[in-house]
Amino acid sequence: MTRVLIADDSETILLLMRTRLEMEGYEVVTAADGLEVIETMRTADPQPDILLLDAMMPRKSGIEALRELRAGGVKTPTLIVSAHQDQMDAGAATDVEVSGYVTKPIDFEALFTRIAELTRP
Amino acid sequence: MLTGLAVIGVARFLQQRQDFENATARSYQVEIAARNRLAEGAAPGPTRAAIVAQKRERQRLRNDIDGETRDTALLVGAGLIAGLTGAALLFTGLIATMRRPLEELVDASGRLAGGDLQARVKVGGLSETAALGEAFNEMAGELQRRAGERDQLETMKDEFVLTASHELRSPLTSVQGFAELLMLERDKLSPAQADTVEIILDNTRHLVRLLNDLLDLARSDAGRLTIKPAPTDVASLIEDAVRTMRSQTEARGQSLDQRLDPGLPQVNVDRDRIRQVLVNLITNAHEYSPDRASIEVTATHRDGEVEMAVRDDGPGMAADQLEHIFDRFTRGDAGLTQHVGGTGLGLAISKSLVELHGGTIAAESVQGQGSTFRVRLPAIPAAAPTVDGPKSEAPVDISAHPQEETR
Repeated sequence: MTRVLIADDSETILLLMRTRLEMEGYEVVTAADGLEVIETMRTADPQPDILLLDAMMPRKSGIEALRELRAGGVKTPTLIVSAHQDQMDAGAATDVEVSGYVTKPIDFEALFTRIAELTRP
Repeated sequence: MLTGLAVIGVARFLQQRQDFENATARSYQVEIAARNRLAEGAAPGPTRAAIVAQKRERQRLRNDIDGETRDTALLVGAGLIAGLTGAALLFTGLIATMRRPLEELVDASGRLAGGDLQARVKVGGLSETAALGEAFNEMAGELQRRAGERDQLETMKDEFVLTASHELRSPLTSVQGFAELLMLERDKLSPAQADTVEIILDNTRHLVRLLNDLLDLARSDAGRLTIKPAPTDVASLIEDAVRTMRSQTEARGQSLDQRLDPGLPQVNVDRDRIRQVLVNLITNAHEYSPDRASIEVTATHRDGEVEMAVRDDGPGMAADQLEHIFDRFTRGDAGLTQHVGGTGLGLAISKSLVELHGGTIAAESVQGQGSTFRVRLPAIPAAAPTVDGPKSEAPVDISAHPQEETR
């Protein structure tokens, strides 16, 4: 089963995403900020197949967490979730390898298609 | 000093003239007395001699005074010339002293009027020009302070809209997401509950649209509305926009046709943004026209421009409404239709976007006979090699609002 790690500082958003993803048949792991993302990636077994990281989170943003993971050799496909374009323009550094961006409100049907493409064996 | 000489000269002249008048008068008195005596029978010999003597005396006086007058006139003339020359020299000096600060003031005023709010003058010179310079600098300082305050307010407004639209987006994501979740289990809801959830969803989508539009306008105002133009095929652009709107127009029995000139040149545009403009124009035609109305999208090529037009046979607009149609929060008369869901910002944003591409947008309408909106964009000259790569697949649209394409 495909494992998805989702990170967002809003519990409501996490609940929404977890519910929709589980209904779609995905296994879901959650994180509340970038530090938890890094911790989960260090300990999780098996490793998540794809990461959905909110661009802006307290303590450590999704972008910062991804930069650290990439520096550590993690190649997991990652979608950055963001409230709007400007935030991505401001936050997204060109030096981080990102599989794509997702803007809020989330179009779940399109998101499922994207996850399926990125996790296709 | 020389002027003083002239004054002394004139005074002396007047005094001599007075002396001359007095002496002449005395001479006449002597002569008259002699003539009286002659008339009373005095000895004529000596008396006549006295009269002749007085005549000679007066002639001498006249000669004297003429000489004096000439001297004095020379003296006065010299004095006057000297005085005038001095005054002229003094005045020239004065003008030179005033001229430089005045020229500087004129120059600084020009720069200030041209928008250089840091324009200032060096204060100095005569007290009058110094005061003028100080007043100018004070005025320029005040202007600069006020402009700074205004810019700060503008920036705060832009930042506020950007932040607010971000903060509002998170709760909206939840509302829309959970309402969609409920709709997934529609069969477990009563028909009335399902309708209620539909209403929540409709309104959430409207809020999201409003938020996106506000964000675009704030970006536009802040100069942050950016486009990424690339050579784009006009036909595929229009087909794309028409496809997006097809289900909505069909739902109300409206026809949506396209009529494109063959061999249209490409345009250098940000595909997503111009599609946003076209979708907006078709949405307006759809929402403001009654059921079973005709909507037509055309594209023509003329004078190095591609014109894309969206025409409907809906209610049209009055002239006074047409005049303000591209202003913010201007909306057509919604009384005629129940389907208007716009934000009143779409056309203002469309205008900003089209102008950002170096194009123009215009509206024509006759009340009762429909409206036509025309977008003109510079065409890529046919001679130029086309840079359009192999047609990529339509980008996967993950967001619920297509105009915020990921890039």
